[in-house]
Amino acid sequence: MLSLPLVSSPDGAFFEDLKVGQEYTSPGRTVTETDVVLFAGLSGDYNVLHTDAEHMKGSLFGERIAHGLLGLAIQQGLASRGEPTAAHGCFTGIKWKFKGPIRLGDTIHVRSRIAGLGDATTPGHGLVTMERQVINQRGEVVQEGETAHLLERRKP
Amino acid sequence: MTPRPMRPPIQAPGAPSQIYFEDIELAVPLETPGMTLTEAHVALFGGLAQIMAPRDPEFVPDLLPLCLSSGLGWRVPRPPLAVLAFMGFEWRFLLPLRVGDTIRSMSVTNTKRSLREGGVVIEERSIVNQRGETAQSGKLTLLVAKRPKP
Repeated sequence: MLSLPLVSSPDGAFFEDLKVGQEYTSPGRTVTETDVVLFAGLSGDYNVLHTDAEHMKGSLFGERIAHGLLGLAIQQGLASRGEPTAAHGCFTGIKWKFKGPIRLGDTIHVRSRIAGLGDATTPGHGLVTMERQVINQRGEVVQEGETAHLLERRKP
Repeated sequence: MTPRPMRPPIQAPGAPSQIYFEDIELAVPLETPGMTLTEAHVALFGGLAQIMAPRDPEFVPDLLPLCLSSGLGWRVPRPPLAVLAFMGFEWRFLLPLRVGDTIRSMSVTNTKRSLREGGVVIEERSIVNQRGETAQSGKLTLLVAKRPKP
């Protein structure tokens, strides 16, 4: 249980505004070499998968790929441009699969759907379960999973 | 001009440069050095991922500590894992983190499964704060290369 609610949503949707089955589609974003280099610098993850173009020529992928967690972070930003749970909620859990690579220059967007609404142990909040897919420009699902979020309830 | 003496190699001779699937020992806990979460981390992460600034400037975005833990994992006294791909993870967010908190990552591998090409490794990881409280934890599934045939 989260001990204190950190994110409030006075301008956004409240738990009561959501319905199971509601769907959201984010704008797209092109993942660039710059994004990957900045993420390596920020996270400290300099794995050759993301940083050594020559090594990767001979690999499974044939070229450098974005960090999986960079894709996760970018999809969270994309989702927050429409999905109320991403914009105003906080995470309680994630189950996530990296199904395929995000290559430098790929353009990804997020499709999400409210899969479940339930009670939360944190007072004044509801628990929202989302199904999310990260989709590239060829329509391939490169990441997908289930995310659980706390969202504020309307004050009585 | 006398030639400079040769610099010793950074890698001790004979030491492995990478940990392959066969080298992974089960049930051996690893603990990373600490990292203090700063406003700079939050600003860089927010800009990179377009995570909107909340009203509380000390708030650390939920996904940032997880991202930092993958880099902290490179700073343990062991060569890096020969990761071929990150396949997935399950993660729980237990306590909020704030600017000024110092996190460490603790991990242990309890499961590994050999495949024809490489093997699947499940790493259990926790992110703990300066008081030793677990803030986030979960399991990461990695595809790791086998040792190249000589």
